[in-house]
Amino acid sequence: MAPEPPLLSMTGITKSFPGVRALDGVDLDVQAGEVHCLLGQNGAGKSTLIKVLAGAHQPDTGTIHWRGGEVTLRSPIAAMRLGIATIYQELDLVEHLSVAENVHLGHEPTAAGFVIRGKAARASTGLLLKRLGHPEIDPARLVGELSAAQQQIVSMARALSHDVRLIVMDEPSAALDPDEVDNLFRIVGDLTAAGVAVVYISHRLEEIRRIGDRVTVLKDGRAVAGGLPAKTTPTREVVAMMTGRNVEYVFPERPAKDATAGQPLLEVRGLAREGEFEPLDLSVRPGEIVGLAGLVGSGRSEILETVYGARKPTSGQVLVDGRPLKPGSVRAAVRAGLGLAPEERKAQALLMLESVTRNVSVSSMSRFSRGGWIDRAAELRAARAATRELSLRPDNPSVPVRTLSGGNQQKAVLARWLLRGCRVLLLDEPTRGVDVGARAELYAVVRRLADEGLAVLLVSSEVPEVLGLADRVLVLREGRVVHTAPARELDEHRVLDLVMEGSPAS
Amino acid sequence: MPETMGRFTSRRGLLFGTAAVGAGALLTGCTSNESKDEPAANDQPAADDKPGKQVTIGFAGPQADHGWLNAINDNAKSRAKKYSDVTLEITEGSNDTAAQIGQIETLINKKVDVLVVLPADGKALTQVGLKAMRANIPVINLDRIFNTPQAYRCWIGGDNYGMGLNAGHYIGEKLKDKPDATVIELAGLDNLELTKQRTQGFDDALKNYPNIKKVARQAAEFTVESGQAKMAQLLQAQPKFDALWNHDDDQGVGALRAIEQAGRDDFLMVGGAGALSAFQAIKQDDGVLKATVLYPPTMAASAIDLARALGQGNGVSGMAEFEIPASITLYSAVVDKTNVDQYMSTGFK
Amino acid sequence: MTQHASPPRDSTGKVPSAGAPPAWRGLMARADVRTLSLLGVLAALILIGGITKPDQFLDSRNLQLVLTQASVIGVVTVGMTFVIISGGIDLSVGAIVALASVWATTVATQEYGFGGILFTAVIVGVGCGLVNGVLIAYGAMVPFIATLAMLASARGLALQITDGKTQIVTIPSVLDLGERDAYVLGIPPLVMVFAVVTIIGWLILNRTTFGRRTVAVGGNAEAARLAGIDVRRQRLYLYLLSGLCCGIAAFLLIVLSGSGQNTNGNLYELDAIAAAIIGGTLLSGGRGTIVGSVLGVLIFTTITNIFALNNLQSDVQQIAKGAIIVAAVLVQRRTASTT
Repeated sequence: MAPEPPLLSMTGITKSFPGVRALDGVDLDVQAGEVHCLLGQNGAGKSTLIKVLAGAHQPDTGTIHWRGGEVTLRSPIAAMRLGIATIYQELDLVEHLSVAENVHLGHEPTAAGFVIRGKAARASTGLLLKRLGHPEIDPARLVGELSAAQQQIVSMARALSHDVRLIVMDEPSAALDPDEVDNLFRIVGDLTAAGVAVVYISHRLEEIRRIGDRVTVLKDGRAVAGGLPAKTTPTREVVAMMTGRNVEYVFPERPAKDATAGQPLLEVRGLAREGEFEPLDLSVRPGEIVGLAGLVGSGRSEILETVYGARKPTSGQVLVDGRPLKPGSVRAAVRAGLGLAPEERKAQALLMLESVTRNVSVSSMSRFSRGGWIDRAAELRAARAATRELSLRPDNPSVPVRTLSGGNQQKAVLARWLLRGCRVLLLDEPTRGVDVGARAELYAVVRRLADEGLAVLLVSSEVPEVLGLADRVLVLREGRVVHTAPARELDEHRVLDLVMEGSPAS
Repeated sequence: MPETMGRFTSRRGLLFGTAAVGAGALLTGCTSNESKDEPAANDQPAADDKPGKQVTIGFAGPQADHGWLNAINDNAKSRAKKYSDVTLEITEGSNDTAAQIGQIETLINKKVDVLVVLPADGKALTQVGLKAMRANIPVINLDRIFNTPQAYRCWIGGDNYGMGLNAGHYIGEKLKDKPDATVIELAGLDNLELTKQRTQGFDDALKNYPNIKKVARQAAEFTVESGQAKMAQLLQAQPKFDALWNHDDDQGVGALRAIEQAGRDDFLMVGGAGALSAFQAIKQDDGVLKATVLYPPTMAASAIDLARALGQGNGVSGMAEFEIPASITLYSAVVDKTNVDQYMSTGFK
Repeated sequence: MTQHASPPRDSTGKVPSAGAPPAWRGLMARADVRTLSLLGVLAALILIGGITKPDQFLDSRNLQLVLTQASVIGVVTVGMTFVIISGGIDLSVGAIVALASVWATTVATQEYGFGGILFTAVIVGVGCGLVNGVLIAYGAMVPFIATLAMLASARGLALQITDGKTQIVTIPSVLDLGERDAYVLGIPPLVMVFAVVTIIGWLILNRTTFGRRTVAVGGNAEAARLAGIDVRRQRLYLYLLSGLCCGIAAFLLIVLSGSGQNTNGNLYELDAIAAAIIGGTLLSGGRGTIVGSVLGVLIFTTITNIFALNNLQSDVQQIAKGAIIVAAVLVQRRTASTT
């Protein structure tokens, strides 16, 4: 007898948006009870594909078979009714409603057809949360009060509150710490054991190795490989399929000269914010890259933002060239030569509706203006020079910044500070949302800027990145520096031990 | 103009040289409107001003954001002042139904002898009128009528239909010998019942004059600004017409401005309500405005008289009955050059 | 956003010489679809007006009339456009126009003549804008609430000043400015003021750091702050600017109507917001054009004019106005999504 038909089979799916062909004849089939991983760089078509699957987009051509029969997914509700649930990367929860209300949103248990039975909703939500390994989340609490990881659990509970046969998870581990990721994997294991299929999207190859059964790789809107064995396909092969290159992490050479000589450009003395991080001392010299390594919640981003003046310290000071900065003033920091490339690029750095030029020039407007009057030709010339120096693609600063890839958007932010003449660069998760292939280029840019005399303070949750790029590393745990050492004296295991255990001996 | 411009220039040093302090002082001074406080005139002799039993009259009206409503308040106040035996409890005017209900309930609780109510919305305030009547406080309902006669002892108000009728007849008589005469109408706020009534009366009157045709109607909003805007459009739309009826003298200020700006003087205009500025223009007789149809704010003074009579158990002098009537509709007199002097003192600003 | 895009370049990064055909064609290609669709709507309206009332509508006097009627609300809309682009809202514009117009026409102010009236109107507008700005920028109040409070207070104060009475202007030089004799080359002075405010507004938005900061604050206030922009000071200036526009508009209204009344400026906030929105300004901030807003104002004024000339009543006018707002936004969305 022929094998059972797949739970889901999508054939020849195409979807075009004005000017872009997002999907170009993609096939995907998913068996009941498997974890099917979807891999691809940003813009490869993953998001569009899962939106088609969730009923949020209608494909231009192609067919979808569900449990052997052809279906049309007219709307998210239609997909939900069939048993397809989607957990998006940007969680779609209502902050001002309780956990139980969110879980049952749109299908509330009712008496007489319209009276919401709140108690029943809370009870069933409690059961779902227990099954997900988070009995401590109170179904009556407001979702807005929960941590990002807890919100993700709520999102998952909502998916499971339906009679679901297929769950799509879009980068579920992005906001999670390792132990939470373990819990996530346990849940995925439980689901698949119960016959539910999971479509899992992630950038992290090691996760795919751990839980994936099969892998489909998307590139430029096409499936370049479908149904590869997830555990055994060599990494280089997968990366090559995604990028067309045979690289993963390539770090630039550190300069031979000793960067620890000379006067520090940036000095932080006893800087602290109550409840976020304890008094911190550090210094960065021109040409030096100092890395802060630590888990989510270790206070990394908070430290950078406080140095930058975006948060007001409870004690301590920041000095540039030996002169103290006015605490809690971004403008003072920028005037003194600091520049921040924040973690949430779209929310904190970019003007998404604007051109690259305007994003680059926004911090240096006084340079092209006289009496408030902007010399637009000079502005464009300067923006072009700054973006060319960083080989930003496309080489046309008039395009809207939103059309750029993650790596090039990051370069636009760096170009902004380059143009400003910034001397101390603060980088918060500089490669988040940046494709594997583009990372190496970004690392090279950062190193070159340091070689040209900038002081760089780098924060990253990806330990190899900190170790590979920084000269000196500070390991953080729960708002405290537990270890400081030159990067070449540390390895990934040692750092992970430190951030988990916190004891520098061992 | 040059002379005034010169004055402007000579003032400039004072105005712009004295900087912020001067600006502040100027601005503070500028809110003063010294000449505004002439008492509203209802100097007709009171019906029976021999002092009698002390009467406390509660008065609740809407917010006086309009010249006519302001005149209502002034009339009530100055009339009450004339009587040594009348105490007037007047509330802060409000256009909010709930707020006005609260104010009237306060007056009921204070046990005033008689209530005079000009509701912001007659229908919505019927219940509180009933409540007062049940508490044995007779209610004089002023102008905007309650839903049921049970909610008031006496209603006194103007005649919107009659206004339109009289305006129509006045214009009709002026134009009756002119073949193919045309008239236009600048109405008030269109979502008010009274605007429809005025238009209906006007149309009904014009039916008596087959040679006259109404060719256009636009609704303004009882404001100078809207009067100017709508009149300007009407003048552009109708290059030639013989008469204009404007429902309201306040918006008439704007309408006259638009007429002046368009340089038109080839028609006759009749106003409505009875504003002082309209009376003055009629008396001067150098513009298009020849007459206005009254909607007299003196009705508030009459309401005080009626309330006092009720409180003292009297009827209306000059009538045979022992009790005041249950309903009084005022006549919408036409004021033109011939009788304007008689009405001048009742004009409101 | 036509005026936001930089000039077209060839691959070498040089600007083609002005006046050459490629530059012209590039300009057309870049012309904002929103602006074009608004011009289309306006053209359609002119066609309707010309067909239904050829004699009265297609008349230079009517053109003067429409532009004059558009001037007062137009000046308010320019200020409102800046505020909305910055991600804010100013609900108090109508009330500020009312307050400024009555404050400037009291008996005491009129003693200072033309200058006194103009000066008072502008200063009252700026003063109200200052209060709005301080509350929003430094008092951390939501613009909706702060300007709603200003709406209530300014209307109340206007009523208190006038006591509900119409304040007639008796200064001849002020009144003359609103009459035909004051037209220069057929252009009413009010329309000239409107044109000047529009041009200055366009220049500020598109050619100055102030305009850039406005767009940046509206597009992403947090990013603007982290880029080193003084977001609070910018917000203060924006509400000041809106107040200034209201003061100028109040003066125009005084000239136009020859009076000051506390009912002036009724629902200007809604008209200005509606004009800005159909002009393509995002209510969430970060995008908008002066040209679009002014076209929005002209569209509304032209509709009113056509209806009045055809003697249609206000109920029909209101229904059609609502329908046109929806239609204009839908048309824009369609044209915008196909590019």
